[in-house]
Amino acid sequence: MSCLKEQFDELRKIYPDEIKDAMVLPLLQMTLKAKGHLVESDALYIADYLELPAMQVKEAMTWYSMLYRTPVGKHVVKVCRSVACSLRGEQRIVAHISKKLGIKPGETTADNKFTLLEVECLASCGTAPMMQINDTYHEDLTEAKIDQILEALQ
Amino acid sequence: MSNIEFSIDDKKLEALPGETVLKAALRNGIDIPYLCYHPCLSIAGNCRICLVRIKGRPGFHPSCNLPVAPGMEIESDCEDVSAVRKNVMQFITLNHPVDCPVCDKAGECKLQNYHFKYNGSASLSIDAKKHKPKFYDVNERILLDAERCILCSRCVRFTHEISKSGMLGITERGQQSRVEHLESGAAKDDYSDNIIQNCPVGALLSRDFLYKSRVWYLEPVASVCNGCARGCSVDVWRRKHHWKVRALGSEKNRMAYRITAKQNDDINGRWICNKGFDLNKQINDFASRATKPAIGGMDATCQDALSEARKLIFEAKKPAAIVSAHASNEELEAFKKTLGSRVEVYVRKDYEPAAGEVVEDELLIKADKNPNSTKVEELFGKESFSAAAGHDLVLVWGDNVEYSALSGAKIIHLATQKPNGNPDVLIPISTQFERKGSYTNFEGKVNRFEQVFDKPELVLHASDVFGRL
Ligand code: SF4
Ligand code: SF4
Ligand code: FES
Ligand code: FES
Repeated sequence: MSCLKEQFDELRKIYPDEIKDAMVLPLLQMTLKAKGHLVESDALYIADYLELPAMQVKEAMTWYSMLYRTPVGKHVVKVCRSVACSLRGEQRIVAHISKKLGIKPGETTADNKFTLLEVECLASCGTAPMMQINDTYHEDLTEAKIDQILEALQ
Repeated sequence: MSNIEFSIDDKKLEALPGETVLKAALRNGIDIPYLCYHPCLSIAGNCRICLVRIKGRPGFHPSCNLPVAPGMEIESDCEDVSAVRKNVMQFITLNHPVDCPVCDKAGECKLQNYHFKYNGSASLSIDAKKHKPKFYDVNERILLDAERCILCSRCVRFTHEISKSGMLGITERGQQSRVEHLESGAAKDDYSDNIIQNCPVGALLSRDFLYKSRVWYLEPVASVCNGCARGCSVDVWRRKHHWKVRALGSEKNRMAYRITAKQNDDINGRWICNKGFDLNKQINDFASRATKPAIGGMDATCQDALSEARKLIFEAKKPAAIVSAHASNEELEAFKKTLGSRVEVYVRKDYEPAAGEVVEDELLIKADKNPNSTKVEELFGKESFSAAAGHDLVLVWGDNVEYSALSGAKIIHLATQKPNGNPDVLIPISTQFERKGSYTNFEGKVNRFEQVFDKPELVLHASDVFGRL
């Protein structure tokens, strides 16, 4: 944790104390980067560091789909399950990926290459159904398109 | 700044500077529905049941978050608005179990009332409801039925803004959202029970009251908490006369089913502490209640106990009295008038902070755990009893007294609870909940309490006793 603390201190210099709440997300991201996934004690540590209520940090930690709370593989496939995507076949999409990778949502392949997650709205409702793999959006999905995308990552 | 003129449903109104449409409407007796809004908490604007129209502007606006502007014309009672409210109700109850028949909140639930008023039709959804945890432990006093929660965040805002424990938060997103506390460490909050009352639906449940009664069998009686020198206003909920149990379980008729905070802007605002919510345990503690007069430990009639006490006072060379900081203003005055000049008077605080109890905080709780120290001290000074003064008779008025500290003097005890030992004369007296009266709190504010129950047969009112001694 000590080198993480140094990174925290470094960032803290830029943030005035009145808006220290705004540091919650960058600190969570730094921790994620260092540890791969986040658990409640990470939220407690950050809350303690910023002197904020721990629940406030935990709320942020559980809100964002890029803050992983279980160990993930190399490629994280996040399929949006919110209303627009759901209406346009999200379940079909998930079923297809599941079959292709041989894992259920929430699981990681044995070779640690893929993790499949269902997440809330990724703000691309107009191009539903969609998924995000790592930092890239893949929109207007069809089974054929998915096959192509996953093959390219193999 | 002067007031702002505007109108709701063509009715000309005035709003105070900075007021929102909802506040101004409520102040003027116009009933705009609301769920997430609470006058003491920050505005969340997330339930959307308070939507109104502004003439000349498209769309609907949440009135809890809409500052009044001069000349604004609000429509809150037209067909469009009603239709929107109906839709909002459909949405809010999409995953709500609507299990009113088994819900403690039924009868005083905002959601139930609005459902009845604005929606009234069955769910349009054909999908199965989303299930969430039932009976999630918030702490040792409170349970959460997450399926009933409408995520208004009132409870969360309370713990962050009022009690400052920060114990609750809303985790996850979308359909998965729920109110939770940290997995590590219990959710500790000395004011936690207020969130039960403030939850607009039956999601937060008091373990103490859970399934004890339907609320419509009960009625509130205004009272005052005697737990500390703040003297918060509370409501004591007893069974309504019409619903008295006539067969088995007659003790239910004189039970305090629950305590709730009573709004009193001068003293406690809208909150009380958990000790106040536990007042019913004190009221329902029939086992330690003194109910029979006694002379030297043997049961006696009221008449005999009184004449024995009178005789003792008459014979005493140096009689003293210890008066209690739990006595009401009226009783203290009566004592002063009748016995006050015949005996030497000392004052006594019946209760000190108990082990583990919060001694004092910045919100309500005071270090003095007695409700009426102000009046006792005003009438009788601050001097406490000392054995060195050599009194041969002590009239003890109050509870929680150790006789050993009275150095062998004869004792007449006026008590509400069974004493630890046998005084020469024991006269059981009524509790605060068996009579009317008032206390003067630490700031000198007088707060009145009403009678909740009748006193037991052989118990006397202290103020009636003094004149007869
Ligand atoms: S538990 Fe009650 S007060 Fe808390 S968010 Fe849910 S509905 Fe609102
Ligand atoms: S603050 Fe004092 S008077 Fe108020 S409820 Fe708590 S114990 Fe009772
Ligand atoms: S619903 Fe899927 S991106 Fe918004
Ligand atoms: S009361 Fe206005 S949005 Fe809830």
